[in-house]
Amino acid sequence: MKDLTTANFDNMTTAEFEEYLPELFENSGGSISKDPRFATFFQSNPDCAALVRDLEIIAEQARSLFEPSGEESGPEPSDAVWSNIASKLKEEAPTDEEN
Amino acid sequence: MDLQGLPRMQTKPNPGFFKRNAPIAGEAEAIDRAKNGDPDAFAKLYALHKRRVYTLCLRMLGNVSEAEDMTQEAFLHLFRKLGSFRGESAFSTWLHRLTVNLVLMHLRKKGLQLVSLEETINPSEEDAPKRDFGSRDTMLTGSVDRVTLERAVALLPPGYRMVFVLHDVEGFEHNEIATMLECSTGNSKSQLHKARLKLRELLRESQALSAASEPAAQKVNAR
Repeated sequence: MKDLTTANFDNMTTAEFEEYLPELFENSGGSISKDPRFATFFQSNPDCAALVRDLEIIAEQARSLFEPSGEESGPEPSDAVWSNIASKLKEEAPTDEEN
Repeated sequence: MDLQGLPRMQTKPNPGFFKRNAPIAGEAEAIDRAKNGDPDAFAKLYALHKRRVYTLCLRMLGNVSEAEDMTQEAFLHLFRKLGSFRGESAFSTWLHRLTVNLVLMHLRKKGLQLVSLEETINPSEEDAPKRDFGSRDTMLTGSVDRVTLERAVALLPPGYRMVFVLHDVEGFEHNEIATMLECSTGNSKSQLHKARLKLRELLRESQALSAASEPAAQKVNAR
Protein backbone atom coordinates (compact mmCIF):
# COMPACT_ATOMS: atom_id res chain seq x y z
CA MET A 1 0.00 0.00 0.00
CA LYS A 2 1.19 3.52 -0.78
CA ASP A 3 1.77 6.36 1.63
CA LEU A 4 -1.05 8.88 1.30
CA THR A 5 1.06 11.80 2.46
CA THR A 6 3.00 11.79 -0.81
CA ALA A 7 -0.03 11.39 -3.05
CA ASN A 8 -0.94 13.83 -5.79
CA PHE A 9 -4.61 13.09 -6.20
CA ASP A 10 -5.13 15.23 -9.31
CA ASN A 11 -2.40 13.66 -11.40
CA MET A 12 -2.28 10.02 -10.46
CA THR A 13 -2.81 7.07 -12.74
CA THR A 14 -5.58 4.54 -12.20
CA ALA A 15 -2.93 2.01 -11.10
CA GLU A 16 -1.65 4.44 -8.47
CA PHE A 17 -5.21 5.13 -7.36
CA GLU A 18 -5.80 1.41 -6.90
CA GLU A 19 -2.71 1.21 -4.70
CA TYR A 20 -3.94 4.07 -2.54
CA LEU A 21 -7.49 2.74 -2.32
CA PRO A 22 -7.24 0.39 0.72
CA GLU A 23 -5.66 3.15 2.81
CA LEU A 24 -8.09 5.75 1.47
CA PHE A 25 -11.05 3.63 2.50
CA GLU A 26 -9.57 3.14 5.94
CA ASN A 27 -8.88 6.85 6.45
CA SER A 28 -12.11 8.16 4.98
CA GLY A 29 -14.42 5.88 6.93
CA GLY A 30 -15.62 4.41 3.64
CA SER A 31 -16.81 7.62 2.01
CA ILE A 32 -14.42 8.52 -0.79
CA SER A 33 -16.88 9.26 -3.57
CA LYS A 34 -17.94 12.57 -2.01
CA ASP A 35 -14.44 13.65 -1.00
CA PRO A 36 -13.69 16.91 -2.89
CA ARG A 37 -9.98 15.98 -3.16
CA PHE A 38 -10.92 13.36 -5.74
CA ALA A 39 -13.52 15.31 -7.73
CA THR A 40 -11.12 16.09 -10.57
CA PHE A 41 -9.71 12.59 -10.68
CA PHE A 42 -13.15 10.96 -10.71
CA GLN A 43 -14.30 13.30 -13.45
CA SER A 44 -11.37 12.18 -15.62
CA ASN A 45 -11.66 8.52 -14.58
CA PRO A 46 -15.33 7.55 -14.37
CA ASP A 47 -14.47 3.84 -14.11
CA CYS A 48 -12.58 4.56 -10.88
CA ALA A 49 -15.56 6.56 -9.65
CA ALA A 50 -17.82 3.58 -10.41
CA LEU A 51 -15.46 1.21 -8.62
CA VAL A 52 -15.39 3.40 -5.52
CA ARG A 53 -19.15 3.77 -5.51
CA ASP A 54 -19.58 -0.01 -5.77
CA LEU A 55 -17.12 -0.69 -2.96
CA GLU A 56 -18.91 1.84 -0.79
CA ILE A 57 -22.24 0.10 -1.48
CA ILE A 58 -20.72 -3.27 -0.54
CA ALA A 59 -19.19 -1.95 2.70
CA GLU A 60 -22.41 -0.15 3.64
CA GLN A 61 -24.60 -3.18 2.97
CA ALA A 62 -22.16 -5.44 4.86
CA ARG A 63 -22.86 -3.48 8.04
CA SER A 64 -26.53 -4.42 7.75
CA LEU A 65 -25.58 -8.12 7.85
CA PHE A 66 -24.56 -7.68 11.48
CA GLU A 67 -28.18 -7.56 12.60
CA PRO A 68 -29.98 -10.88 12.11
CA SER A 69 -32.66 -10.74 9.43
CA GLY A 70 -36.38 -11.14 10.24
CA GLU A 71 -37.24 -13.36 13.18
CA GLU A 72 -38.62 -16.14 10.97
CA SER A 73 -36.23 -16.03 8.01
CA GLY A 74 -32.72 -15.84 9.47
CA PRO A 75 -30.61 -18.92 10.12
CA GLU A 76 -30.55 -20.28 13.63
CA PRO A 77 -29.00 -23.36 15.23
CA SER A 78 -31.07 -26.53 15.45
CA ASP A 79 -32.81 -27.45 18.72
CA ALA A 80 -30.17 -30.14 19.26
CA VAL A 81 -27.59 -27.43 19.98
CA TRP A 82 -29.47 -26.17 23.03
CA SER A 83 -30.25 -29.75 24.14
CA ASN A 84 -26.53 -30.55 24.10
CA ILE A 85 -25.67 -27.34 25.94
CA ALA A 86 -28.37 -27.89 28.56
CA SER A 87 -27.26 -31.45 29.28
CA LYS A 88 -23.62 -30.31 29.68
CA LEU A 89 -24.59 -27.37 31.88
CA LYS A 90 -26.13 -29.74 34.37
CA GLU A 91 -22.66 -31.14 34.94
CA GLU A 92 -20.98 -27.75 35.33
CA ALA A 93 -21.14 -24.57 37.40
CA PRO A 94 -19.85 -21.08 36.50
CA THR A 95 -16.34 -20.15 37.65
CA ASP A 96 -14.86 -16.81 38.76
CA GLU A 97 -11.78 -17.19 36.57
CA GLU A 98 -10.49 -14.20 34.64
CA ASN A 99 -10.86 -14.53 30.88
CA MET B 1 -11.72 -25.21 26.99
CA ASP B 2 -8.50 -23.24 27.09
CA LEU B 3 -7.65 -20.37 24.82
CA GLN B 4 -3.92 -20.75 25.26
CA GLY B 5 -1.91 -20.07 22.16
CA LEU B 6 -4.26 -17.36 21.00
CA PRO B 7 -3.15 -13.80 21.52
CA ARG B 8 -5.24 -11.83 24.00
CA MET B 9 -7.36 -9.23 22.30
CA GLN B 10 -7.66 -5.72 23.63
CA THR B 11 -10.41 -5.22 26.17
CA LYS B 12 -10.78 -1.46 25.97
CA PRO B 13 -14.29 -0.39 24.94
CA ASN B 14 -14.74 0.37 21.25
CA PRO B 15 -17.25 3.25 20.84
CA GLY B 16 -18.40 1.92 17.46
CA PHE B 17 -19.17 -1.41 19.00
CA PHE B 18 -21.31 0.15 21.71
CA LYS B 19 -23.37 1.82 18.99
CA ARG B 20 -23.88 -1.46 17.16
CA ASN B 21 -24.29 -3.57 20.28
CA ALA B 22 -26.88 -1.64 22.20
CA PRO B 23 -27.99 -3.40 25.40
CA ILE B 24 -30.97 -5.69 24.92
CA ALA B 25 -33.95 -5.41 27.25
CA GLY B 26 -33.62 -7.85 30.13
CA GLU B 27 -30.05 -8.80 29.19
CA ALA B 28 -28.29 -7.21 32.18
CA GLU B 29 -30.61 -8.89 34.64
CA ALA B 30 -30.20 -12.24 32.88
CA ILE B 31 -26.41 -11.87 33.03
CA ASP B 32 -26.48 -11.20 36.77
CA ARG B 33 -28.81 -14.11 37.42
CA ALA B 34 -26.85 -16.44 35.14
CA LYS B 35 -23.64 -15.49 36.99
CA ASN B 36 -25.34 -16.78 40.12
CA GLY B 37 -26.09 -20.07 38.43
CA ASP B 38 -29.71 -19.51 37.37
CA PRO B 39 -30.25 -21.94 34.46
CA ASP B 40 -33.33 -20.07 33.20
CA ALA B 41 -31.32 -16.88 32.95
CA PHE B 42 -28.63 -18.64 30.92
CA ALA B 43 -31.36 -20.05 28.66
CA LYS B 44 -32.54 -16.49 28.13
CA LEU B 45 -29.02 -15.36 27.19
CA TYR B 46 -28.89 -18.24 24.72
CA ALA B 47 -32.23 -17.25 23.23
CA LEU B 48 -31.13 -13.61 22.92
CA HIS B 49 -27.79 -14.33 21.26
CA LYS B 50 -27.99 -17.72 19.55
CA ARG B 51 -28.78 -16.31 16.11
CA ARG B 52 -25.94 -13.79 16.07
CA VAL B 53 -23.42 -16.28 17.40
CA TYR B 54 -24.55 -19.00 14.99
CA THR B 55 -24.56 -16.61 12.03
CA LEU B 56 -21.04 -15.46 12.93
CA CYS B 57 -19.84 -19.09 13.11
CA LEU B 58 -21.59 -19.94 9.85
CA ARG B 59 -20.04 -16.99 8.04
CA MET B 60 -16.57 -17.79 9.33
CA LEU B 61 -16.76 -21.54 8.74
CA GLY B 62 -19.17 -21.83 5.80
CA ASN B 63 -20.45 -25.15 7.16
CA VAL B 64 -23.71 -25.74 9.06
CA SER B 65 -22.50 -28.70 11.10
CA GLU B 66 -19.27 -27.01 12.20
CA ALA B 67 -21.16 -23.77 12.88
CA GLU B 68 -23.55 -25.62 15.20
CA ASP B 69 -20.65 -27.31 17.00
CA MET B 70 -18.90 -23.99 17.50
CA THR B 71 -22.12 -22.30 18.65
CA GLN B 72 -22.40 -25.03 21.27
CA GLU B 73 -18.75 -24.54 22.29
CA ALA B 74 -19.18 -20.77 22.44
CA PHE B 75 -22.11 -20.97 24.85
CA LEU B 76 -20.45 -23.61 27.00
CA HIS B 77 -17.39 -21.40 27.15
CA LEU B 78 -19.61 -18.45 27.96
CA PHE B 79 -21.14 -20.38 30.85
CA ARG B 80 -17.69 -21.13 32.27
CA LYS B 81 -16.38 -17.59 31.84
CA LEU B 82 -19.46 -15.52 32.56
CA GLY B 83 -18.15 -14.67 36.02
CA SER B 84 -15.29 -12.74 34.44
CA PHE B 85 -17.56 -10.47 32.37
CA ARG B 86 -17.25 -7.05 33.99
CA GLY B 87 -19.25 -4.95 31.54
CA GLU B 88 -16.22 -3.08 30.16
CA SER B 89 -17.62 -3.68 26.70
CA ALA B 90 -21.11 -4.56 25.51
CA PHE B 91 -22.00 -8.14 26.39
CA SER B 92 -22.57 -9.05 22.74
CA THR B 93 -19.15 -7.61 21.82
CA TRP B 94 -17.53 -9.71 24.52
CA LEU B 95 -19.45 -12.79 23.41
CA HIS B 96 -18.50 -12.25 19.76
CA ARG B 97 -14.82 -11.90 20.65
CA LEU B 98 -15.02 -15.10 22.62
CA THR B 99 -16.71 -16.81 19.67
CA VAL B 100 -14.20 -15.53 17.11
CA ASN B 101 -11.32 -16.78 19.29
CA LEU B 102 -12.91 -20.22 19.56
CA VAL B 103 -13.54 -20.45 15.81
CA LEU B 104 -9.98 -19.40 15.02
CA MET B 105 -8.64 -21.93 17.51
CA HIS B 106 -10.82 -24.57 15.86
CA LEU B 107 -9.48 -23.63 12.41
CA ARG B 108 -5.90 -23.80 13.66
CA LYS B 109 -6.55 -27.22 15.12
CA LYS B 110 -7.77 -28.28 11.70
CA GLY B 111 -4.42 -27.41 10.22
CA LEU B 112 -4.21 -23.69 9.77
CA GLN B 113 -1.78 -23.43 12.68
CA LEU B 114 0.77 -25.39 10.70
CA VAL B 115 1.28 -22.53 8.29
CA SER B 116 1.33 -18.82 8.91
CA LEU B 117 -2.20 -17.52 8.47
CA GLU B 118 -0.69 -14.58 6.63
CA GLU B 119 0.22 -16.97 3.85
CA THR B 120 -2.83 -19.20 3.97
CA ILE B 121 -5.27 -16.32 3.74
CA ASN B 122 -3.86 -15.45 0.33
CA PRO B 123 -5.96 -17.37 -2.18
CA SER B 124 -4.82 -18.80 -5.48
CA GLU B 125 -4.50 -16.58 -8.52
CA GLU B 126 -7.74 -17.87 -9.90
CA ASP B 127 -9.65 -16.91 -6.75
CA ALA B 128 -8.05 -13.49 -6.53
CA PRO B 129 -9.96 -10.47 -7.84
CA LYS B 130 -9.17 -9.46 -11.39
CA ARG B 131 -6.99 -6.40 -11.68
CA ASP B 132 -9.32 -4.31 -13.75
CA PHE B 133 -11.73 -1.58 -12.86
CA GLY B 134 -14.52 -2.94 -15.02
CA SER B 135 -16.61 -0.42 -16.83
CA ARG B 136 -19.46 1.77 -15.85
CA ASP B 137 -22.05 -0.23 -17.77
CA THR B 138 -21.29 -3.26 -15.62
CA MET B 139 -21.11 -1.52 -12.29
CA LEU B 140 -23.54 -2.59 -9.61
CA THR B 141 -27.03 -1.39 -10.31
CA GLY B 142 -28.24 0.51 -7.28
CA SER B 143 -28.24 -1.21 -3.93
CA VAL B 144 -27.35 -4.81 -3.22
CA ASP B 145 -29.89 -6.79 -1.27
CA ARG B 146 -28.82 -8.63 1.83
CA VAL B 147 -29.57 -12.14 0.53
CA THR B 148 -27.50 -11.60 -2.61
CA LEU B 149 -24.62 -10.17 -0.61
CA GLU B 150 -24.80 -13.03 1.91
CA ARG B 151 -24.55 -15.54 -0.97
CA ALA B 152 -21.61 -13.70 -2.50
CA VAL B 153 -19.80 -13.57 0.86
CA ALA B 154 -20.22 -17.34 1.15
CA LEU B 155 -18.46 -17.72 -2.22
CA LEU B 156 -15.38 -15.75 -1.14
CA PRO B 157 -12.14 -17.65 -0.59
CA PRO B 158 -11.87 -18.44 3.17
CA GLY B 159 -9.16 -15.89 3.94
CA TYR B 160 -10.96 -13.04 2.20
CA ARG B 161 -14.22 -14.08 3.84
CA MET B 162 -12.65 -14.11 7.30
CA VAL B 163 -11.28 -10.57 7.07
CA PHE B 164 -14.42 -9.22 5.39
CA VAL B 165 -16.73 -10.72 8.04
CA LEU B 166 -14.56 -9.57 10.93
CA HIS B 167 -14.11 -6.01 9.63
CA ASP B 168 -17.11 -5.04 7.53
CA VAL B 169 -19.79 -7.14 9.22
CA GLU B 170 -18.60 -7.55 12.82
CA GLY B 171 -16.90 -4.16 13.06
CA PHE B 172 -13.48 -5.22 14.35
CA GLU B 173 -10.61 -2.80 13.72
CA HIS B 174 -7.66 -3.83 11.53
CA ASN B 175 -5.28 -3.90 14.51
CA GLU B 176 -7.64 -6.30 16.30
CA ILE B 177 -7.95 -8.49 13.20
CA ALA B 178 -4.18 -8.49 12.77
CA THR B 179 -3.82 -9.73 16.35
CA MET B 180 -6.49 -12.38 15.91
CA LEU B 181 -5.17 -13.67 12.59
CA GLU B 182 -1.51 -13.19 13.50
CA CYS B 183 -0.84 -11.07 10.46
CA SER B 184 0.17 -7.44 9.93
CA THR B 185 -2.31 -4.57 9.96
CA GLY B 186 -1.32 -3.78 6.37
CA ASN B 187 -2.08 -7.35 5.40
CA SER B 188 -5.50 -7.13 6.98
CA LYS B 189 -6.25 -3.92 5.04
CA SER B 190 -4.99 -5.43 1.83
CA GLN B 191 -7.02 -8.62 2.29
CA LEU B 192 -10.14 -6.61 3.03
CA HIS B 193 -9.68 -4.57 -0.13
CA LYS B 194 -9.21 -7.71 -2.22
CA ALA B 195 -12.28 -9.25 -0.57
CA ARG B 196 -14.40 -6.24 -1.54
CA LEU B 197 -13.05 -6.32 -5.10
CA LYS B 198 -13.84 -10.02 -5.34
CA LEU B 199 -17.32 -9.40 -3.97
CA ARG B 200 -17.87 -6.73 -6.59
CA GLU B 201 -16.96 -9.25 -9.28
CA LEU B 202 -19.29 -11.88 -7.82
CA LEU B 203 -22.15 -9.41 -7.45
CA ARG B 204 -21.73 -8.11 -10.99
CA GLU B 205 -21.79 -11.68 -12.30
CA SER B 206 -24.91 -12.36 -10.25
CA GLN B 207 -26.62 -9.25 -11.60
CA ALA B 208 -25.62 -10.11 -15.17
CA LEU B 209 -27.09 -13.60 -14.76
CA SER B 210 -30.32 -12.19 -13.35
CA ALA B 211 -30.59 -9.72 -16.20
CA ALA B 212 -29.99 -12.48 -18.77
CA SER B 213 -32.64 -14.74 -17.24
CA GLU B 214 -35.28 -12.01 -16.99
CA PRO B 215 -36.26 -11.99 -20.70
CA ALA B 216 -36.61 -15.79 -20.59
CA ALA B 217 -38.75 -15.54 -17.48
CA GLN B 218 -40.86 -12.86 -19.11
CA LYS B 219 -41.42 -15.13 -22.14
CA VAL B 220 -42.51 -17.97 -19.86
CA ASN B 221 -44.85 -15.68 -17.96
CA ALA B 222 -46.34 -14.35 -21.22
CA ARG B 223 -47.39 -17.82 -22.32
